[in-house]
Amino acid sequence: MQMPQPDQSVINRRETLAAGLTRIVGAQWVIVDEAERRPYQCDGITAYMAMPLLVVLPGSTDELRQVLRFCHDNAVKVVPRGSGTSLSGGALPLEDGVLLVTSRLCEILSIDRENRVARVQPGVPNIKISEAVHHLGLCYMPDPSSQLISTIGGNVAENSGGVHCLKYGVTANHILGIEAVLITGEVIRLGGAFLGGAEGELDLMGVLTGSEGLLAVVTEIAVRLEPLPEVARVISMSFPSVEKACECVGAIIGAGIIPAGLEFMDRKVLDAVAALIRESFDSRTEALLLCELDGTAVEVDALVQVVNDVARSQGAIETKVSTTQEERERIWSSRKLAFSAIGKLCPDYYCTDGTIPRNKLPEVLNKMAQLSEQYGLDYANCFHAGDGNLHPIIMYDAAKPGDLEKAEAFGADVLIACVDAGGVLSGEHGVGVEKRDLMTHQFSEIDLQQQQMVKCAFDPGELLNPGKVFPTTCRCAEFGRMHVHKGNLRFADIPRF
Amino acid sequence: MTQTQADTTIQRPATVQDVADIIMDAAQAGCRLAITGNGTRPGLGNPVTAAGTLSLGGLDKIDFYDPDDLVIRAGAGITLDELEAILLAKGQYLPFEPPRYAALYGTDPRRCTLGGAVATALSGPRRILSGAVRDFVLGVEGVNGQGDVFKAGGRTMKNVTGYDLAKLVTGSHGTLAALTSVTIKVLPAPRAEISLVLPAAGLAEDTALFSAIRALPLGVGGLARRMNDGGTCEVVIRVEGTQPGVAGNRQVLEGLLQKRGGAHVLVQEESQAQWADIRELACLHPRADELVWRVNLPATAVTEFVARAREAGCINRFFIDWAGGVVFSTMRGVQPEVDVLRYRKMAESIGAKATMLRAPCAVLTRFGAFPPTSSGVAALAARTRAAFDPAGILNPGRMSLQPQEQGHA
Ligand SMILES: Cc1cc2nc3c(=O)[nH]c(=O)nc-3n(C[C@H](O)[C@H](O)[C@H](O)COP(=O)(O)OP(=O)(O)OC[C@H]3O[C@@H](n4cnc5c(N)ncnc54)[C@H](O)[C@@H]3O)c2cc1C
Repeated sequence: MQMPQPDQSVINRRETLAAGLTRIVGAQWVIVDEAERRPYQCDGITAYMAMPLLVVLPGSTDELRQVLRFCHDNAVKVVPRGSGTSLSGGALPLEDGVLLVTSRLCEILSIDRENRVARVQPGVPNIKISEAVHHLGLCYMPDPSSQLISTIGGNVAENSGGVHCLKYGVTANHILGIEAVLITGEVIRLGGAFLGGAEGELDLMGVLTGSEGLLAVVTEIAVRLEPLPEVARVISMSFPSVEKACECVGAIIGAGIIPAGLEFMDRKVLDAVAALIRESFDSRTEALLLCELDGTAVEVDALVQVVNDVARSQGAIETKVSTTQEERERIWSSRKLAFSAIGKLCPDYYCTDGTIPRNKLPEVLNKMAQLSEQYGLDYANCFHAGDGNLHPIIMYDAAKPGDLEKAEAFGADVLIACVDAGGVLSGEHGVGVEKRDLMTHQFSEIDLQQQQMVKCAFDPGELLNPGKVFPTTCRCAEFGRMHVHKGNLRFADIPRF
Repeated sequence: MTQTQADTTIQRPATVQDVADIIMDAAQAGCRLAITGNGTRPGLGNPVTAAGTLSLGGLDKIDFYDPDDLVIRAGAGITLDELEAILLAKGQYLPFEPPRYAALYGTDPRRCTLGGAVATALSGPRRILSGAVRDFVLGVEGVNGQGDVFKAGGRTMKNVTGYDLAKLVTGSHGTLAALTSVTIKVLPAPRAEISLVLPAAGLAEDTALFSAIRALPLGVGGLARRMNDGGTCEVVIRVEGTQPGVAGNRQVLEGLLQKRGGAHVLVQEESQAQWADIRELACLHPRADELVWRVNLPATAVTEFVARAREAGCINRFFIDWAGGVVFSTMRGVQPEVDVLRYRKMAESIGAKATMLRAPCAVLTRFGAFPPTSSGVAALAARTRAAFDPAGILNPGRMSLQPQEQGHA
């Protein structure tokens, strides 16, 4: 993975730029000292690191607006950052760029119980919204596993999902309006704090969602609140083979049921978890599905029955249904612990995010087993089966020369297999730098160019989060002028990073 | 109320390549094109003046339908009726319940297309529960204003690979691209459906009831306050789900409604017919000379808004959907120059969005069908449009009035 060459002349101006930014946010909130910048070197992917030019933490939208304007006027690149939990390197700093951190913008601005909307600042950790409205019997539905830490601004930028997005949808389905600041410092407000607040507008909010900090910095979000489900029960189903478990996923959905969540764990994950919680799983079990059903008590009881029957007919060895909240939490704990349990098995792991049509699960999982042998690296599987969102966990040892490169190549091959199976590179973690160079496998030159033209409408100078998502620069100034007819390759000469 | 010049030529290609060629030729000749499906909603949006019309109605094939994966991809020209019938055969449906509104424009509702539903982003009463069109568009293929065929999104349920151009194109009224095919997420249709119907009380009381019902996790996918032909109003509550689920929720709701004197119940087909009427704004019965409006607003603001607008003579007949979040109304066509501005101002003052679903061409051309946006958003939208259609040949002015057209009125 290669990043654009840092501009030494900008790095040389570090002190001057720091002085300018200090005038906006105060000395306390501009981090110049190298030791203090170090914690910001990477996001959730620790394999990729870079020391940011400066770290700036504005305390208000107005300060943030001035910071962007300052950077724009001084032609300095900006990388927005929430909590830095991105798993695709979206918040990877640039040595010649300002890292703009939203963590001080962490207020819940209003909670409107009647209209069931909360307005929040971007630095609010996801979980805080649900905590703040729990006493009203409401919640904010999207629940990434990182929800204790990851920010709503980051969630919007990555269009994050969670265990419950099978039934309830991802971040994009739960935001009603946003305020965002363009690189020029111009503030725009899109949508409103009610359904249909964006009627008659181009869906600019839709395209900002999931744009990984490349188009604008989100400074306020109006989110939908939902009533807490009356009852939620989870049913755990063990299968003698991965194929059987995958077929059961299709059978449940095919039976007309949309569970609140439907998760898959393979034997390796189960063993790792078992070691942690000192509970063993049936020795014949090769794969486990967790299926959560929620709604009113009557409804859930009926659905549990159906899912149980489906599982039996699909060859489940054993099914367990939670009858109390404690049981439900205990059953879920295995899934929640999965990643840290795997972390105990190997020095390092790398987790990708390809998403496929559900009926391609067996095919792609087989391919993974094959690739594991080819690369000589072990892997485990724990993923959002109901959405076809894979999270293969590739185990490696960064201390071993060549191991990281092997893990990356293994991951890339899995992603290519996902695209070839009719899927996409990323279901919820985003492209960032991690999947950037694979974009040409999923999209044609024209598809990518159309996306980059949109970038040019927002940020023609390419100062916001450059080097992410797209394998080439946009060269905005030249678009439109160099149109070549009938499918001839355009910009064949553009350098790759 | 035709919105394109009567003497324009209509081209109706049957392949994506033909669509691309037509647009490429038009771009080179600097010719503006009106982009339509089957042209069933000519009056929705600002009038378009164009040299020719490009109808996507000929692209009407199913590319694939994978019921177990809850996904279908079809040509933009497939009719909603055909699509819904195909889904129904597998017990599935389009959760966003696309309205046709053909009655407003005197066209044939059976000819409304999928592409039209996506381009106009019209969502029906179930929006409060299931979401809008944009929430179900997984991917699109289209031709931009330079004649380039591009695709965006995909067919999987989750996808954050590159910008979500599929969302951007949804609701863009044909101003970014001519949609050639659309990939849609579908869902199992509810097994059971009933509606509880009761006489309306005051608007404030009814919206409070809506709010109380929505606070409960009952899967209520429709909360409207409609007008009867006699002039009285009634509240309609739709409950959907499994048989036992619906029965249980019905009991809870009936308990809640006891102090309102109870409700009568419409079962299955009766309920469906009722909601088809609500979806199509049937109870408005707009007269030929009346304007038809949609105002989106916070439900807590609806009572005062309607009272003020009626007093000012801006609302003639009206009804409420989306649990109070939308007001559909008619406006007498006597002095639209005055009333349109007044009504828009009223809406703007509370941050509501007022759209003219139907109005005479001159009124649309002068005031714009859609609520005005801030100059910053308008400029960003214009730049975004230019990113797809630099010469401005696709449905020019449909969404935002072009400066030169504003002068005409
Ligand atoms: C243990 C763990 C579990 C996870 N589980 C899930 C999961 O279940 N589902 C899921 O979807 N993801 C998951 N993630 C990934 C990650 O948490 C999400 O992508 C999250 O949304 C990132 O939020 P953040 O605040 O940490 O953003 P960061 O990592 O700081 O930034 C992410 C991206 O957003 C941009 N950005 C941040 N704030 C803004 C803003 N205000 N305006 C514009 N751009 C901005 C950044 O430039 C960057 O490109 C997980 C990560 C970890 C470490």
